[in-house]
Amino acid sequence: MAQHQVNYASSAGLPIALTSVDKLVNWGRSNSLWPLTYGLACCAIEMMASGASRYDFDRMGTIFRASPRQADVMILAGTLSKKHSEFARRLYDQMTEPKWVISMGSCANTGGMFNTYATVQGVDRIIPVDIYLPGCAPRPETLQYAMMMLQKKIRRESADMKKNTKQDLTTQAGKRARLI
Amino acid sequence: MRKYVPKDNVQKKAYYTDRFHVVPRVPREKVIDTHFEATVFNLGEYVKDSYVEIGQLVVHIDANDNFAVLKILKEQCGYTQCSEQSAVDYLAKDGEFELFWQMLNVNEAKRVRVVCRLKEGLAIESVEPLFKSANFAEREMFDMFGIKVNNHPFLKRILMPDDWEGHPLLKTYPLFGDEFASWYEVDKIFGKEYRDIIGPENRDPGKIDIEDTKRFSRVGYEVPFGTEYNADEEVEVAYSETALVNYNKKTSKQLDERR
Amino acid sequence: MQVPNKLTPFFENLNFERDDNTMVINFGPQHPSAHGQLRLVLELDGEQVVKAYPDIGYLHRGIEKMAENMTYNEFLPTTDRLDYIASTSNNYAYALAVEKLLDIEAPRRAQAIRTMLLELNRIISHLFFIATHALDVGAMSVFLYAFREREFAMDLMEDYCGARLTHSAVRIGGVPLDLPANWLENLAAFCDKVDYEVEHTYEALLTENRIWKMRLEDVGVISAEDALSWGCSGPMLRGSGVKWDIRKEEPYELYSELDFDIPVSDRCDSYGRYRLYMEEMRQSTRILRQLIPMYKETEPQLMAHAPQYISAPKEEIMTQNYALMQHFVLVTQGMRPPRGEVYVPTESPKGELGFYIKSEGDPYAYRLKCRAPSFFHTGLLQKLLVGTYLADVVTIIGTTNIVFGEVDR
Repeated sequence: MAQHQVNYASSAGLPIALTSVDKLVNWGRSNSLWPLTYGLACCAIEMMASGASRYDFDRMGTIFRASPRQADVMILAGTLSKKHSEFARRLYDQMTEPKWVISMGSCANTGGMFNTYATVQGVDRIIPVDIYLPGCAPRPETLQYAMMMLQKKIRRESADMKKNTKQDLTTQAGKRARLI
Repeated sequence: MRKYVPKDNVQKKAYYTDRFHVVPRVPREKVIDTHFEATVFNLGEYVKDSYVEIGQLVVHIDANDNFAVLKILKEQCGYTQCSEQSAVDYLAKDGEFELFWQMLNVNEAKRVRVVCRLKEGLAIESVEPLFKSANFAEREMFDMFGIKVNNHPFLKRILMPDDWEGHPLLKTYPLFGDEFASWYEVDKIFGKEYRDIIGPENRDPGKIDIEDTKRFSRVGYEVPFGTEYNADEEVEVAYSETALVNYNKKTSKQLDERR
Repeated sequence: MQVPNKLTPFFENLNFERDDNTMVINFGPQHPSAHGQLRLVLELDGEQVVKAYPDIGYLHRGIEKMAENMTYNEFLPTTDRLDYIASTSNNYAYALAVEKLLDIEAPRRAQAIRTMLLELNRIISHLFFIATHALDVGAMSVFLYAFREREFAMDLMEDYCGARLTHSAVRIGGVPLDLPANWLENLAAFCDKVDYEVEHTYEALLTENRIWKMRLEDVGVISAEDALSWGCSGPMLRGSGVKWDIRKEEPYELYSELDFDIPVSDRCDSYGRYRLYMEEMRQSTRILRQLIPMYKETEPQLMAHAPQYISAPKEEIMTQNYALMQHFVLVTQGMRPPRGEVYVPTESPKGELGFYIKSEGDPYAYRLKCRAPSFFHTGLLQKLLVGTYLADVVTIIGTTNIVFGEVDR
């Protein structure tokens, strides 16, 4: 939001900042992304590490919440098994709009190395994903970068969430029942 | 002609085995250790075969005697922990399962493996009254192989969901899962009518769908999310900040001019 | 009961309020203090747990099935994902089981490096234990301090193998790499750091802390007989007064030559186990310090010489025809161990981690069973939780130190 910072000296000292509502709302949304602690497997340990001392997520306004109802971002960290999949979807449904999803690690992206009967082959089969984060397990820096990418993405979006194209599970979003 | 695949064992096989390849066997030694000798003596007639394999006593018993044998091992030989128990699927070859119990004597630092063969469809007696660790282990065995356990307090699937079909560790069960498994999460969450919308699982890790602008875009040709794919159209690079090198273009560095 | 296959929220058929004045609550599978994907169904009478039913399998990934479809070397990186807090201990347990089956032994330098990595992983795991356990009980600052030291240990692992979490730092027959320059100096400095922090930070913060003692003392009491019967191992068993450590009793690698103590606590409760973990970290640094001179005396060979099973070093493959042929066969077809079965236990940070391998002489294991300590510790929860208060449930889950990668496999 650098372009909206007001140079008070040149604007006759007026404490006024002019911006559009979209940008103001998105500024607020992007700078206080509260993720849901949704650690599933190995990546959860890296997610914890990024929240802990050295990588310190809090300085980015990212505070982990335990309840989906208080969270904006679902960081799906780890392998999603078929037994767990319905809970993942339920947690996603419980989150309030606006909401975003980061799929962390190869297992969540595509099933990864667990190409077996018990693993969901990519969480985008059941949940719309905004950022895919490669790696097995991704380093905390990668997760931080993903959060920054998500912030970038949110700033480009419309504040009215209905106008944003979500990755829909349907091929023809208009014709089929809307899932999201 | 289609290649023949045996139905009773769908696991991966070696693609080539030398005709003259002789598989050696891990040496089975005679029981000479005094503690192991005493153990075999205590078990008496229950023992069908006994030997020492890689430092551990292996005792073959009849499937009906498992409770009695483990009871003797616990009460007379000091094997106070049943550290592991599971099964091996020999249905294709012999029509039976091989069950094993891995016993530990904490005082003597000795381990015994009790092995028995169980015909398909028969049930085994639970050792849960002796060793509580069997509670979970037997449930897992039931879940993975479908082996029923008599007198188990709570025999129920443990790792797979309750409504799962099939027993995953059987040799007849494919690694990628059967039809039921591949649609499990779709059926459960959305319902069967969403199968068409969501589509089948992609089991090919090397698959690249160049027309898919929803999941992974081509590097250097990023398009807005979900737009129609157009091969001819030049698209401005939107996200990548590094300059991308086109290796197909001829450069002065190309050494062989004739190409 | 609702039809569960629509997008309407789906509630299981749990009776929340019942006639007998007990209440059933559902805990997990997404719960910040469930250490992963544990789901507990608790029946409460007031504040007291009457019945506990741990529901596992939410991280079941079919690792044992994968082992039947992968060659022995292919499968090794998969073992990383079992106990993902201390990956090398799984790699090692698997590699050791295969080595026992093949009847080969790693060279001495590889043994020294492996023992170092195992102990380093033990420290990483124990630091993680104290971090999460303290966080669950309510001591947030310990979490931050412990993760600070854990990052230093991760740096050491990263220097050695390039990965932070999933190391794959052990190969069947040895280790792939020698230690990098200055690694041993960094290790010695890290040992000093851990010793200092254990005494001056964690123990100073927790051991005599009134709240910590009240939350942990006489919580999660398990007798020695029960611990054995429920299949406990590692700190859970030693915390009940059974002096059993596989490193001492059935030594592997260099443990028979090392001088270290096995801490045992006969308090049988969570507090005793916490003290045990702290003492084990000290013993680990003691082992690591002894290993530094032992490493320096060894020959530089890193992989065992067994051309039938293990590829020759890269220089030989590039220069000698026969080594190249062997390498080609081993890579394309995989090694074929002799027919037989083996169960090898090792002392992982959580307890007895063993691999049972049944080989039929094929490049693929006929059956691989991973004996995970956490699996049985989770089973123990249905006994341990009964009679405790709801607030202690989190403490007890923390003290069992379960990791769901290896519970569900």
